Amino acid sequence: MPKSVQYKANSIVYFKGDMNENIYLLKSGKVVLKYNDIETGEEINDIIQMGEFFSVKSSLGKYPKEETALVKQDAEVLLFTAPEFEQVAMSNTRIIMKMLRVFSNQLRRIHKQVSNLLVMGKQENPETGLFGIGEYYLKHNKLIQSLYTFRRYLTYYPSGDFAAKAADNILTIETRLQSSGGAAGGTSEAKPAGGEGGGGPSDAAKVYYNGISLFSQQKFTEALSEFRKILQTSPDPEYQAKAFFEVGRCFFSLNDFDKTITHYTGMIQKFPKHPDLLEALFYVGSAYEKKKETDKAKNFYSKILSLSEESSPVHRKAERALKGLEG
Amino acid sequence: MALDLSMFGRFAKTFRKNEIIFCEYEPGDTFYLIQTGRVQIVKIMNEIEKIIDILQPGEIFGEMAILEEAPRSASAIAQDDVKALEFNRENFEVLMQGNPQIALKLLKLFTKRIFDQKRRFLILTLEDVQARVADVFLMLTETQGTSLANTEQMVFNTTVDDVAHWAGMPPEACRKVLNHFVTQRRLDIYPDRIEVKNINDFARFVSSRRKHQVS
Repeated sequence: MPKSVQYKANSIVYFKGDMNENIYLLKSGKVVLKYNDIETGEEINDIIQMGEFFSVKSSLGKYPKEETALVKQDAEVLLFTAPEFEQVAMSNTRIIMKMLRVFSNQLRRIHKQVSNLLVMGKQENPETGLFGIGEYYLKHNKLIQSLYTFRRYLTYYPSGDFAAKAADNILTIETRLQSSGGAAGGTSEAKPAGGEGGGGPSDAAKVYYNGISLFSQQKFTEALSEFRKILQTSPDPEYQAKAFFEVGRCFFSLNDFDKTITHYTGMIQKFPKHPDLLEALFYVGSAYEKKKETDKAKNFYSKILSLSEESSPVHRKAERALKGLEG
Repeated sequence: MALDLSMFGRFAKTFRKNEIIFCEYEPGDTFYLIQTGRVQIVKIMNEIEKIIDILQPGEIFGEMAILEEAPRSASAIAQDDVKALEFNRENFEVLMQGNPQIALKLLKLFTKRIFDQKRRFLILTLEDVQARVADVFLMLTETQGTSLANTEQMVFNTTVDDVAHWAGMPPEACRKVLNHFVTQRRLDIYPDRIEVKNINDFARFVSSRRKHQVS
């Protein structure tokens, strides 16, 4: 049970540097927390509100108190031990949520302050950094990790500086994974398609990544012809589906919006379980938007909203697009 | 209860052994609570893959994503087959409200992060590079939970690159400072560890430089 403690004006609840796991709640009176600003060194006095907890961070984190708590007017304070506080907080999540918000703001602030100081040092740009990690893993023969990284790279930077190289590397890794057979057992995606021997499936992969590479260099017509090759010749269902999706992206990038719409409408029928189906719907919506057929565009964006989870990127994209049309 | 479980099921993800959960520099908007299996947090520094931490079931990682979609500062790789719950900013509040234990865990993690970052900030604000490097050892002593009063010699399982990282200095510059300390017989550098002869001497040195800076 928390204890009630009375403090006289000008007394101290705790000093900066004290080590204990007490947490306090101000019931009445006036208490201020005195400390020096970490950046400017200036002395700060934070007034505790009635009903507010203090000394939570140092107590939960088990580190010395960061400020001195000085009583300004006679005060009544409830003293909790750390386990007592946890019990109260667990039965009232609002307390934790509120503190999470406060702490995450503080964390954000201190993070910024630290990174401001580090800016003078080296700071890798994320695109180069991500690609570099893929290269590192490739060099050290960690193929599954390397494959993941290059694929992520292409997802985030489809026309990035290293997109062509990343696509090449993916192809190399897939071939190597395929020839090493069982060693590939990492992700299901890393598994070579087909596997009934012969060069068939890997040919499809080669053409596919060549297409991706061309696309990333904005050579859309050339890319289109690569993806079409797969549709016409490859027996591999995985690359058939992948290439089908990419063909639509090529049409869109070539500003051929009618073809984009027909193509993706066909995809919905041909591959009703395609993993990129919602993305395809988004392209259809965007194509209508480009054609200034706003109502149809809105229909497709709304459909995405109803079919996707709120947290998914395509949901957010559709939401933004809808707002753009309505705003 | 049934509702809770079904809610959780939707957020459960599985990762095969060695699979990357997320990669350093990737934009991040999700964080994870490990249910089964272990997760390695690794960072590639100067062409060496370094394991920063190995996390156990019940632990949270990637939590900085709740704050902002900044690039990931390290990679998370499944050390075993891993099952984890994946959260993001949108579902986070709902999940926290239904699961105060997770919320409390996260709260504690934040207090630790804030403290670590503040400590790091204090190191970085030292203008004198020697003091900055010395202060890294003081910070490492604190995180080992050793009280300064009881010890003189301290052994740190750390490398020059690590120290450079904490001090926010290029590794060459940091090595120069460390070598200077070696010639002063204040520390010894080994391939796998650094030994500080008298950590209290470092504490006095840093504190005097800090005071000097303020005045």
